[in-house]
Amino acid sequence: MTTAGRAGHQPVAGRRADRLLRWYPRAWRTRYGDEFAELLGAEIAEQPRSFRRGVNVAASGVRSRLAQLGLTGHPVDQRAAAKARLSILIWCAAACGVLGAAMWSQLAVGRQWAAPAHPGVGLAFELMTGAMLAFALLGAMLLASASRVVLGAVRRRRASRLWLPVLLIVAGATVIFIGGRHFANAWPGTGGHLLAHQALIPAWLAAFCWASTMWITSYLAHPAALAAFPVGQLGWMAACPAAIGALITGAARLLRGVERSPGTLRFEKWLAGITAAGLLLLIGGALSWLISPGAGVMPAFHVGLIDKAAMLALVLLIGAGWQALRHGNLAGAPAGQ
Amino acid sequence: MTKSAGASGSEGLDTLGRSSGPASLILSSLADGAKHGYALTKDIESFAGVRLAPGTLYEALSRLEAHGLIEALESQDRRRPYQLTTAGATALSSYLQAQRQVAEVGLSRLATSWVLT
Repeated sequence: MTTAGRAGHQPVAGRRADRLLRWYPRAWRTRYGDEFAELLGAEIAEQPRSFRRGVNVAASGVRSRLAQLGLTGHPVDQRAAAKARLSILIWCAAACGVLGAAMWSQLAVGRQWAAPAHPGVGLAFELMTGAMLAFALLGAMLLASASRVVLGAVRRRRASRLWLPVLLIVAGATVIFIGGRHFANAWPGTGGHLLAHQALIPAWLAAFCWASTMWITSYLAHPAALAAFPVGQLGWMAACPAAIGALITGAARLLRGVERSPGTLRFEKWLAGITAAGLLLLIGGALSWLISPGAGVMPAFHVGLIDKAAMLALVLLIGAGWQALRHGNLAGAPAGQ
Repeated sequence: MTKSAGASGSEGLDTLGRSSGPASLILSSLADGAKHGYALTKDIESFAGVRLAPGTLYEALSRLEAHGLIEALESQDRRRPYQLTTAGATALSSYLQAQRQVAEVGLSRLATSWVLT
């Protein structure tokens, strides 16, 4: 793409036009960049300063970026938008799963010690356990699908582009498994205690989920208290989200590379159905917990600011995922086609 | 230059969402021949008294192009002209006829009920 400054307008106008163009995504700039820069150059030459023009271009550019992410209609590059849409759905579902696991594991750890005093907390725990089962099923189906993709690519000797995502998945999962096991056992009050076997949920599972999500904590708002944590634990609280991020990034990259055949789309509809069921259970459970009065004798049942923030984040993530689904399917066709 | 616009296969401007207003102005401007972005802005300003901001103009142009109502022409320089397609002419005709009907009804009712100076 050439710059507007070469089109005969004043260099200043060209530079301003180029700066305004940066609001737009690359696919849009590739298609319309030259002619749009020409128009902007002419407009700037005619009226050098215009607040309204700047706001208009910025708003239009942001809308175009959202479209290219698959979050609104009319992207310039439908295939790229479909891939971005898939990434957003994977990230939203995964983030909901992580937040859900953080909330659920808090209740599950508390449930190891005492039954909830309020029935609303009990209902919350049961609903969220259902959600975790749905997410576990989703993870197993994704793992099976990813393994099939990788094995197929290895057989066809076209696995070179899959190494990075596979490496991210394996590295992320290994760090989470080793760190989660270590910190689950090392922390009193989770599953490591002898008395902690009074619920249907295995203590080691509750403790593992708790340890893997201990970085989602209200201590983040209290740096002085956080600084008093052991160095190893602080290191784990930094490494764990990075490992989870690597795992999700690897999964998203792997799934983005899968050719979207009718069979794949049917499979993805199944996945979407399970995800929706899991999210409904999760939201229902979280809501039941948040509106239940009193924590009873068990501090783990207490609803903290971090839980309210997690609920808000869940709603926002589900909204973003729904927005992505509304505007087209994963094969690259916009909604309604 | 006279072209015929078939009635079939047209897509209404109301499917363009927030761009339907600017779209009708752009299609009206292109009805007498191809124009590039700046010429469109100037022409629309002259006949409608509205100056379309650049972002709004290109948002509408990209949607109209995606819906097949306009098409880009080859250009020697960076100012790419656009022209109306047959589907675009049909959609514009339907839209303007509906607008004319609304205008005629409104004007006739005003004439019978109000005395405006």
